Amino acid sequence: MYKIIHNYYSKKKGHPSTLAFFRITFGGLMFFSTLRFWSKDWIESLYIKPVFHFKYYGFEWVNDFGVYIYLLFIICLISSMFVALGYKYRASIITFFLVFTYIELIDKTTYLNHYYLTSCIAFIMCFLPAGKYFSLDSYITGESLDKIPVWTIDSLKLFICLVYFFAGIAKINSDWLVEAQPLSLWLKSKYDLPIIGQNLLQLKETHYLASWFAMLYDVLIPFFLLFKRTKYIAFIFVIIFHALTKVFFPSIGMFPYIMISSAVIFFDASLHIKLLNFIRLIIKKLQLFLGLKINEIRLNKFIITKNNRVVFLSLSCFLLFQLIFPFRYILYPGELFWNEQGYRFSWRVMLVEKRGYTTFKIQDSITKKFFYVRNKDFLTPFQEKQMSFQPDFILEYAHYLGEHFKSQGHENIQIFADSFVALNGRINQRFIDPDFNLLNTQESFYNKNWILPLNDKIKGL
Amino acid sequence: MKKYNLLFALSIFLISTQCSSDLEEIDTETTITELTASTDNDNSNSTSQTAVVSSFDHEQMLTNWADNIIIPSIINFENSLVKLKNSASIFVNEPSNETLSVLKEEWLNSFLKWQHLEMFDVGLAEEIYYKNRINLYPANVNRIENNISNQNYDLNASSNFSSQGFNGLDYLLFGIGQNEEEIILKYTSEDSKYGKYFLEIIDKMIELTTQVKDSWDDEFRDEFIKSTDNTSTSSINQVINDFIFYFEKGYRANKIAIPAGRYSDGPLPDRIEAYHGKKYSKILILEATDAIDNFYNGRFSNDITSSGLSINDYLSYMESDQDDKLAEKINEQLKKIKTKLTELNTDFSEQIRQDNLEMLITYDIIQANVVFLKVNLLQKLNINIDYADADGD
Repeated sequence: MYKIIHNYYSKKKGHPSTLAFFRITFGGLMFFSTLRFWSKDWIESLYIKPVFHFKYYGFEWVNDFGVYIYLLFIICLISSMFVALGYKYRASIITFFLVFTYIELIDKTTYLNHYYLTSCIAFIMCFLPAGKYFSLDSYITGESLDKIPVWTIDSLKLFICLVYFFAGIAKINSDWLVEAQPLSLWLKSKYDLPIIGQNLLQLKETHYLASWFAMLYDVLIPFFLLFKRTKYIAFIFVIIFHALTKVFFPSIGMFPYIMISSAVIFFDASLHIKLLNFIRLIIKKLQLFLGLKINEIRLNKFIITKNNRVVFLSLSCFLLFQLIFPFRYILYPGELFWNEQGYRFSWRVMLVEKRGYTTFKIQDSITKKFFYVRNKDFLTPFQEKQMSFQPDFILEYAHYLGEHFKSQGHENIQIFADSFVALNGRINQRFIDPDFNLLNTQESFYNKNWILPLNDKIKGL
Repeated sequence: MKKYNLLFALSIFLISTQCSSDLEEIDTETTITELTASTDNDNSNSTSQTAVVSSFDHEQMLTNWADNIIIPSIINFENSLVKLKNSASIFVNEPSNETLSVLKEEWLNSFLKWQHLEMFDVGLAEEIYYKNRINLYPANVNRIENNISNQNYDLNASSNFSSQGFNGLDYLLFGIGQNEEEIILKYTSEDSKYGKYFLEIIDKMIELTTQVKDSWDDEFRDEFIKSTDNTSTSSINQVINDFIFYFEKGYRANKIAIPAGRYSDGPLPDRIEAYHGKKYSKILILEATDAIDNFYNGRFSNDITSSGLSINDYLSYMESDQDDKLAEKINEQLKKIKTKLTELNTDFSEQIRQDNLEMLITYDIIQANVVFLKVNLLQKLNINIDYADADGD
């Protein structure tokens, strides 16, 4: 066993063009998605406008910096461009990873799987020799690598496979496969799409077909992408699948583009070399046009050092963590889609349609006088929407309200939530125990027993 | 090898596109689902139940809203205001118990017509703050008195929104004296500043209403019924969002929750609609409930025995494959609300002072429907409340 691993670790080699091409597309996409985020004015509406931010457990210390948050976005822009160009690669990718992740930690209202995906890929790339070939760095130093260990490429491949696979098995549940929910709700309401909106999308058969196709696609695509013989067909399916998601769910944002471009990594190095050669050609023409000199680039051998062993072990640990972490929901009783304990960071993408209505009663425990809070006074509409059906948001907001009304001079405060939630087209149901004083508990990894159970059973993984 | 792969891939791609076009053809030929709309009015002259369509006809629903509900409601309201103006002129010229009682009747009649219109806060109505200028309460009594004595005011200023409209008239009809004699006396003084202000308020209401009516010209109406998409700016989404917002704010909060003290340390009985007239708060909310019921079920403004495509029909279509019907629940809840409201005192301020618990129970019954509408209905129709949007996954 050790021998196999050691052999794989030290002997198996790949071509550096694969990582170089991945670096360019990833850096480029991040550059454009940051620009897009900015141009939609979301920095203002999501980070500056809210008076209060919902924090991840353990990251309450993260500060939003007020208007200076724009600086973080500028750093994101510059570092992602440097990553794409391969300029001071290591420093750039580490900077990008830290800053991007920091921004995400400011407010969990904006949590999206593809932001988490971005952070994870950036994290892996911090360890990879992706800047040592076809980069400004090698242009400047005049040195480049001729071969890299194949595990550096495989770590990314494996990670992407895990993402797909978990997204797939999360769909193996009775709502998704037996009821075709929530796709049925979503597709039916796309009646305004040309050609198929008024007929095809109105059919229950279509909803079933789409649900099953999506599940099978997610579960199987990693294997088809890995096999030499099926790679090309698989890639065509990747394009079709993600193009369809973009058509049906325009609000899905950058996710399809990230997944499509990431899947290119599964091809042989010969394709990446061709693609890079194409870029080379353009650069050459530019050089001739501008009359610049071309530096000679020496190809060096990749030398395995002690450092590499640390990197190899770190990446292995990270991937192992990724393999286990999505299963943490097993430790909690109750329905995962309902109480969402262990829901995030598990590649559960577009899996539930959930809406809620949650208001808070502030009561004086002695006089029993009470009043209800207008959520609009404290939350943006987007925050209110997210808060209404996620227990950890409800708890955090209750504590915020507690502090607020305490500072206003109220005494003996108790806070109760009047909360109703509807899941995947079911009639709404009371969500939080209305007699439980939310100030009596703190956020933790323990089970939240003040969430009332769902009066229904969703079978599956 | 690679060439073979590519060829294979290409053929698969072609086959798959072929398949999908096949599916479309099959679809148009075979799958025509019958849609029976408006279950309770089968013999009506509405055009809806005859149609056999494969999908819900959104444009027909919008046409029903515009032609049979919204525009007639505006016209009815305008007509009632003109009548109100007439009886007001007669009263101001000749203040007496008789002319006053006719005027009160016309004021109430017009106020009831307004309940059918307040929920349609779209287009120009929204731009000119129409609903705030017609029915903002409580009326600012001090400001009204100042306006009358100073004779220097601008009814178009937002600071004066609470010193005009129905609740301004309510104060001028019922609140400026201890009894009817005292009130009539205010209008009989020589310069009759009260009568002048009274008429000016009505003129302003007529002016705004005519503006709103004129904004619903053929062009706007055609644009309205063609805007059938499921986007935040489409007619369907805007009207449904406004309807739900009205149910939550104008109806639940203003008429019940705020006076019953839901958002304050104690009840605020002086916050009821038509506070000075006392006995009108219940009759007004009952009318508003009927208006909500009629619009939700697509009933014509001028003939509630006829109906066309409605939110209820749309919802029934969307949940046709589900067992637990929300459409029934919303209608059942509306019935419960009406039953509860009839049990209350005609004067809500009296009800609040004597037994506020009944008001809070009423609130809970209304609130159940707020949740049905805001959580379940919007989920089933997949309509988003116009949030500052962000990517969703």
